[in-house]
Amino acid sequence: MTQAKPRAKKLPLKERYALLTRDLDWEPSYVEREKLFPYTSYEGIKIHDWDGWQDPFRLTVDAYYKYQAEKDKRLYAVLDSFAQSQGHLGLADASYLNAIKLFIQGVTPLEYAAHRHFAYLARYLEGPAPRFAALCQSVDELRHCQTQIHTISNYNKYYGGFHSWSKMHDRVWYLSVPKSLFDDAMTAGPFEFLISISFSFEYLLTNLLFVPFMSGASFNGDMPTMSFGFSAQSDESRHMTLGLEAIKFLLEQDEGNVPIIQAWIDKWFWRAYRMSALVAGMMDYMLPKPVMSWKEAFELYFEDQMLGGLFPDLEYYGITPPRHVEDAIAEKDHLSHQVYKILHNFSFAAAFTTQTPSEEHSAWLSEQYPGSYDELYKPVWDKHARTEAAGGRIFFQGLPQLCQVCQVPMAFTEPDDPTAISFRTSEFTGETFHTCSNGCKWIFDREPEKFVQAWLPVHQIYQGNCGGPSVPEVLDWYGIQDGDNGEYKGSPDQRSWAEWHSGAPKQES
Amino acid sequence: MQYELRYQVIEAKRQSYQNVIDRFGDQPATRYQEATLDVEPRENFHYRPTWAQDRELYDPRYSALRLTDPYSYADPRGFYYTPYVTNRAALHDEFGKTLTYLEDRELLVTLPEAWRSVLGSVVIPLRHYESGCQLVSVTGARFAHGTSLAQCCTFAAFDRIGNAQMLSRVGIAVAGGVGDTLTTAKQEWLDGAHLQPLRRLVEEIMVVDDWAEGLLAIDHVDSLLFPAMYAGLDEKALLGGAGAYSLVAQYLTTWFADQRRWIDALVSAWRGDPEHGPSNTAHLDRIAATWGPRAEEAVGALTAVVAGRLDGVAA
Amino acid sequence: MTSTLRQVGIDIQDAEENRPLVNAIKADNPELTIRHLPGLLKLQAAGRIVINRETVESQLGREWDTGEFQLAIVSYAGNFSEWDDDQIIVSWEH
Repeated sequence: MTQAKPRAKKLPLKERYALLTRDLDWEPSYVEREKLFPYTSYEGIKIHDWDGWQDPFRLTVDAYYKYQAEKDKRLYAVLDSFAQSQGHLGLADASYLNAIKLFIQGVTPLEYAAHRHFAYLARYLEGPAPRFAALCQSVDELRHCQTQIHTISNYNKYYGGFHSWSKMHDRVWYLSVPKSLFDDAMTAGPFEFLISISFSFEYLLTNLLFVPFMSGASFNGDMPTMSFGFSAQSDESRHMTLGLEAIKFLLEQDEGNVPIIQAWIDKWFWRAYRMSALVAGMMDYMLPKPVMSWKEAFELYFEDQMLGGLFPDLEYYGITPPRHVEDAIAEKDHLSHQVYKILHNFSFAAAFTTQTPSEEHSAWLSEQYPGSYDELYKPVWDKHARTEAAGGRIFFQGLPQLCQVCQVPMAFTEPDDPTAISFRTSEFTGETFHTCSNGCKWIFDREPEKFVQAWLPVHQIYQGNCGGPSVPEVLDWYGIQDGDNGEYKGSPDQRSWAEWHSGAPKQES
Repeated sequence: MQYELRYQVIEAKRQSYQNVIDRFGDQPATRYQEATLDVEPRENFHYRPTWAQDRELYDPRYSALRLTDPYSYADPRGFYYTPYVTNRAALHDEFGKTLTYLEDRELLVTLPEAWRSVLGSVVIPLRHYESGCQLVSVTGARFAHGTSLAQCCTFAAFDRIGNAQMLSRVGIAVAGGVGDTLTTAKQEWLDGAHLQPLRRLVEEIMVVDDWAEGLLAIDHVDSLLFPAMYAGLDEKALLGGAGAYSLVAQYLTTWFADQRRWIDALVSAWRGDPEHGPSNTAHLDRIAATWGPRAEEAVGALTAVVAGRLDGVAA
Repeated sequence: MTSTLRQVGIDIQDAEENRPLVNAIKADNPELTIRHLPGLLKLQAAGRIVINRETVESQLGREWDTGEFQLAIVSYAGNFSEWDDDQIIVSWEH
């Protein structure tokens, strides 16, 4: 037996960490402080002591490199072996990949945006501790973006819809939902960015947004996505901590910060929640083997953990649960169905395919949504199924009207009446602007001069900025290739999948 | 479940993402290419930055130095995230092992007095210089136009914190495991007359609007400072009983050689750009003329002190 | 006692190498509930969850740095109220 070696004498973690990070503050003597840190005053947030910032992770650079290199070694080993063994053939079904198409088109670019803008915080925040935390997050987000590109690279070789994700994020209608959200956050000041992305997005909603993707991947045979997802989530816990630390720090610094932060929480909860509607549709409809319904995930990750756990904690500072949260709760039985109906209707113009839920899938939905599905949504799908049995496929003709704020087509219903479309309007400089909900209208009315700038994809098509007036011209400008879009059944992906699996005797392992 | 057909190779429909195919044809691409090319958003930004009303979120106008196509530049090291952290994990692991060796044998605590003084009042204070360099590099991480450039700046920014922490750990080791040397070194940084030209210079560089000018101004300092303070003291250290310093300084020399590779390649790309080459060259010459002499002055103040203290020993 | 009994949680990747860690957490938190999701273990307890370096080390049979916890964690609910050389505590603060 070897004896355990006594631990080498060293500075306690906290003290050592303080010397290696906090001690590297920069107090200017030769240039004006306002010139060095020009953006920390215009939002009205007051900071009296930047050293009040706590970072429980206390990660030093050498440890960062060591852990991250180890994580990536594990991850790329999975990617390589999956590619070499043609692991894509073992997915639950090729239609599963629609969820991953949405992911690389909609989420991967957000990782990149976060990477670039946390670099902004790493430059312009005044305290060395939050600057370092932001720098780590900036580098992490680059990791997430790049590992996602590499994970999905293998699927891109065999399936449609993945090939032009970056261009699509800049151009395609449903991707302006996530893009406009991040553009909104990045164009705000540094503190609003912290509250929007670090707190509302990373802490409040990240579990709801990402963990279901990863569990879905695991359940549907997608080991690479599960691996990068959980690997990224381990960084995400640091980012969540940054978000939670940021809000507590800002609230503790000055009483006057509280109403400003509350308004940002109100805005960004709704903004991020509205974007998560796309995830809701994915979870309930795009996974051949569904894991957990949107409603259950919402209850578990948001209602229990956030409303039940976090907000009572924040009450201490005078913070209340986000405005309009009751509308989100009221529509949890409806959100995913309404969103997938939109995607199903307009997938002729999307870089993924959709399909009417199978009988088995429909039975699962019915079980998950006893209060809404059979009455309101099943009849719609039954109608589609009948049309399709007769050789047809219904797509919506024309272009939808988009919400001026969240940019989702206006198809959500009133919180208290799931049969009436919710429709709000605001006047600004003599023009009328349309929003989809109380939450989005409230956001618009607070900053109309910002939201009138929105690059609304449908307006842009009408204005002739998207390749031409006809659908084929627009699709070409979007970078959508033949067969990326429309109905799944009969699509190139579905036909290849059938061919690759035809005549192959299935062996139980 | 197993499928028989898994034993047959299925032909790929495309070898890479469309933007890579558009550039190089449909052939297998490297992970560097897929992780880098055309990743930065290009168009249809929704709102104007409240902190820069006359710019877009991504905009070539954040610098006077331009590339017609930012992806004509490629990092000669081929760094995307994974090779970057893997490379640096090895660097810091080796550094850590060397430092532990030196600590276990108390080789830094027992450095000759003149060397202790050089470390305490010149070398260790440079950790603050490194943290200033982080602020300059990270500006490029946000504002450089094109992922190919921005990711190099990101890695450089993280590197500078790494350098600062290496120097800090040497400082802790020199003091025998406590923070005393770091405290006095910080005082030197703030008050020492020999360090003020450098501190003033870094502050002035930090407030330069053009991220690339800032990066290059710092590079003018680095190009004098690294050879003078690390590799340049090697022989003296080895002959003067301060081999321990040579052992730790080598890691900063290794880092600087790596830093040179991407910056030199970027400067060549700017000069050789088919459209912006002449204007870039004029800017680069102006930057050298503005900051070069300042860098010489700042680094000169340090080398004078080092020479004074070490030559005193030799005499 | 003013300590709150709201649930806190830690999600850990369901992998062979994390088993000793999970066993250590179980040992130090008798009230812990564990829920299996695909690829994931959801650990929950009322009030707080404690991870002790010594317990993890005895499960692992080697030295373990509390920083290594970052290789295992997927997500959490609560607040890292303590994270030092010997211990990690997740709890709500107020």
